[in-house]
Amino acid sequence: MIEFRNVTKIYADKTSALKNINLTIKKGEFVFIVGPSGSGKSTLIKLLTREIPVTNGAIYVAGRNICNLKTSRVPQLRRNIGSVFQDFKLLPNKTVFENIAFALEVIGRPSYVIKLQVPQVLKLVGLEHKMNSYPHQISAGEQQRVSIARAFVNRPPILLADEPTGNLDPVTSEGIMKLLSRINLIGTTVAMATHDKNIVNSMRRRVVELEEGELIRDQKRGVYGI
Amino acid sequence: MFFTAITTVAITLFIVGFFLIVIYDIQGILTSIKSQVEVAVYLKDNITDELKTYLENEIKGWDEVAEITFVSKEQALEKFRKENEGSEILKEIQGNPLPASFELELKSPEKVEQIALRFLDKDGNFIEGVDEVIYGQNYVQKLFQITAITGSIAFLIIIMLLLATVVLIFNTIRLSIHARRKEIEVMKLVGATNWFVRIPFIFEGFFEGFIGSIISVILLYFMANYLLIRGEKAIVDTMHIKELAILGSNNVIIYIYAGLIILGGLIGIFSSSFALKRYIRV
Repeated sequence: MIEFRNVTKIYADKTSALKNINLTIKKGEFVFIVGPSGSGKSTLIKLLTREIPVTNGAIYVAGRNICNLKTSRVPQLRRNIGSVFQDFKLLPNKTVFENIAFALEVIGRPSYVIKLQVPQVLKLVGLEHKMNSYPHQISAGEQQRVSIARAFVNRPPILLADEPTGNLDPVTSEGIMKLLSRINLIGTTVAMATHDKNIVNSMRRRVVELEEGELIRDQKRGVYGI
Repeated sequence: MFFTAITTVAITLFIVGFFLIVIYDIQGILTSIKSQVEVAVYLKDNITDELKTYLENEIKGWDEVAEITFVSKEQALEKFRKENEGSEILKEIQGNPLPASFELELKSPEKVEQIALRFLDKDGNFIEGVDEVIYGQNYVQKLFQITAITGSIAFLIIIMLLLATVVLIFNTIRLSIHARRKEIEVMKLVGATNWFVRIPFIFEGFFEGFIGSIISVILLYFMANYLLIRGEKAIVDTMHIKELAILGSNNVIIYIYAGLIILGGLIGIFSSSFALKRYIRV
């Protein structure tokens, strides 16, 4: 599903974020990308959605090299990848329903599809009773559920999560992880960057560890640190 | 944000339009004054009819002269009486002290000096039959200088104002886009195409520019009709200008209005397109 071949990323200010990364993630896998701040986790995720370009190497998503994708094809790539962020990135002036509907509107889905799919995905994340609330009226954990719902409403084959539990307490984080596991069980490939030791250790999934831009560990059913 | 942008467009374009109209007006007044530059050739009382006819025919042959009118002594007195009606000075007049004259209207007022010189002989005396030639020497030269200077100053002011307008409107629209950068970011992240993001903003920019410029034109219309025309009438009355080829009788003001509206719309479109560039590159 996803393949990194000798990927190197050097930023404009000459800081090297990733060094010669080789990594393959299969369809339906759940992968933790761990490492301290500044180790290159976020860069890895941003490269996948073409938010930033690679310096060297190639990244294949569903068999296509996305590094030489035309700018006009980037939206198509992003429609197949759901993104979840530490800061949720919800629009404060829109209700829960509207926030999720917005993701479908901007890719041109007709309104009957929106009316059908938004309640479905809200049910999946357990927030059907909050669909008319505004982001500031619900808890941080609920906001993250909304952002996951938005990322997943279009049923993308890949879901990327960059520190999705970074702003949440352990109990709430656990709920988010259950939700991501459920989405993974449906067949979605999930890659999640985190430095939350407890979560990684309790899930026992594949762990890829980065340190100063280098891939230093790739372990099936791994834990956070050795 | 929408209303801030509209207000900015309306106010800045109003100022630009105001200057355009006022400057155009001043230029128009100066041109009317210029076109009324006349040469008055006063004749000696003892001039023979032959000499008078000879001079008249001679002057008629000059290309620069548009029209020549003979004013007899009696007509001059009549005119003088009319202009000074009720004044004490009329009681003092005995007989007719006023000279007969030719009044010359010129095709090209800039040549007034050359024409006046033709009434002098080699020694600098007036030619036979001519008593004096009057054309407002200093006044005319100054007038031409003033027209030239005000013209270039006006041009500079308008260019500067236009630049300031573009920058101001651009910044306002950029701020309104900046206020919605999160929305743009989310749109891009869930896979909206660039044009999908761009089009609503460009439409918004266009409407802000368009509505703002229409408001400015409405304000200008009232200002021009209720203030400027009155001011002009006052100028016309005090300066004895025969005709004024300005506001009421001219299409130019319509072109100014149309230009402002087109400019407003274009600035709106370009400002939003340029301002978007920064935010769309996610």
